[in-house]
Amino acid sequence: MDTGLALQARDVRMEYVDQATGERLLAVDRVDLDIVEGQFVSIVGPSGCGKSTFLKIVNGLFPASEGTIEIRPAAQGVAHAMVFQDSSLFPWYTIVDNIAYGLVCQGVPRKEARARAKPLIDLVSLTGFEKKFPYQLSGGMQQRANLARALTVDPEILLMDEPFAALDAQTRELMQAELLRIWSEASKTVLFITHQIDEAIYLSDRVLVMSARPGRILADITIDLPRPRRLEIKRSPEFIEYADRIWGLISTQLRPESPVAAAS
Amino acid sequence: MVQTRTLVHRGHPGRRSHKFPRRGERLLFGLIGFVVVLPLWEIVVQAGLIKRVTLSSPSLIATAAVNDLFIKGTLWPHLFASSQYFVLGLGLALLTGVPLGLSLGLFRRLNFFLDPWLSAIYATPTIALVPLIVLVLGLGLESKIFIVWLEAIFVVVVSTMAGVRAAEARYLDLAKSFRASRWLMFQSVIVPSSFPFILTALRLGTTRALVGVVVAEFFSANKGIGFFINFSGTTLRTDRVMLGVIILGLLGVAMGEGVRRIERRYEKWRPDIN
Repeated sequence: MDTGLALQARDVRMEYVDQATGERLLAVDRVDLDIVEGQFVSIVGPSGCGKSTFLKIVNGLFPASEGTIEIRPAAQGVAHAMVFQDSSLFPWYTIVDNIAYGLVCQGVPRKEARARAKPLIDLVSLTGFEKKFPYQLSGGMQQRANLARALTVDPEILLMDEPFAALDAQTRELMQAELLRIWSEASKTVLFITHQIDEAIYLSDRVLVMSARPGRILADITIDLPRPRRLEIKRSPEFIEYADRIWGLISTQLRPESPVAAAS
Repeated sequence: MVQTRTLVHRGHPGRRSHKFPRRGERLLFGLIGFVVVLPLWEIVVQAGLIKRVTLSSPSLIATAAVNDLFIKGTLWPHLFASSQYFVLGLGLALLTGVPLGLSLGLFRRLNFFLDPWLSAIYATPTIALVPLIVLVLGLGLESKIFIVWLEAIFVVVVSTMAGVRAAEARYLDLAKSFRASRWLMFQSVIVPSSFPFILTALRLGTTRALVGVVVAEFFSANKGIGFFINFSGTTLRTDRVMLGVIILGLLGVAMGEGVRRIERRYEKWRPDIN
């Protein structure tokens, strides 16, 4: 693996057998991906294109049928941690116990894990909510806790699977800005999955466009917008140009029966 | 807009929302049953339309209650004996049933292996097994506890097992993604997920155990509420029979309510209760 890379994927294929029909389906096909350390990389693509599947392969939740994924071994902490789409905070744990959970999984005693979770709670602005239960928090706050939980284990690379998809539009915008702030403070490599083009452009250094199933990388677009980025940047001509270009690529991938694709 | 508004009003002419029934309504209609039925029962018996010995009467039952509970206190040893069988039998059913239910939920092969036996236990009326149980365990405490245990264990096992199955994939995935050990996954995801089901197990088990107590005492005892009812029946003391039945009913309701309170207390993290 090349130096300076946080992640290197080569020729990743994922094939699975549909339990209902017995059909063999190809979810991900020949994906190559290099992520430089500290980069924020997003993958966008139509629903069901295999982008989440790819992320789960990176996370080790299931094995790839072929190919290799190398993640730079962490100097400290772990190689990777995942932020799921639904917050998946345990409803039976308080916020602090949820955030400390990753550490507990590594065998850190609960008390120490709580203490080590504290700075992350501050980082995601949840100070004062430690003793609350998840249902007492708004969707946005739950996702902050979700993010903090992934950060406590100090991952080399942070994997995010459409973390803001379930939030309302305004909260989502605010959380995007918040994520950039946290990202710049925590200085992590991020692999971010989304189906929202503007979200991908706003957050990322690079946006990868994935084809409809089987998922392949159609384009690798470097987003050359200055940082720090304010939300207003989404209305700049450069931003809109990127959005048009990516939408152009994705719309070729939508199935003809989709009314949006037919209209465009 | 205007049209919609008028339609809404016309659709509900001064009708109360279903969500807010009058507070007293439930109590009022609940009481009517007693206010009507009890005097009617008394009158029918006093008028001699039905023999005292067959149906007793509210006043006779009340007298028996005062006598047996307070003046002579004959009921207390029976109540004590019954609660002993109940607590020990149900306690044992929980101590064995919960771990067994968890294991059956976790290990598919164990489930396949034990399932026919459990189904057989459930399908067989416990009463049918009483002679055998007495033969093996004798007439002492052991046989009663065993009968109560046998009556209660099935619902405890099945309910706990359902709890393990109810553990959500997203929580399991999360634990897996953090490389949680199997033991940690068990205690941080599976046990909390099944906790509401274990409380249900407790509630169902309570009812079944009460049945078990009566079954045990009917056939092989010289004390206990079940014995008291049975013995009173054979000596034609219908008032005492009724008293025993009422006490059992009240105990059942009280314990059900008790468990429901525990459920509420331990489900802090659940947004909606009930």
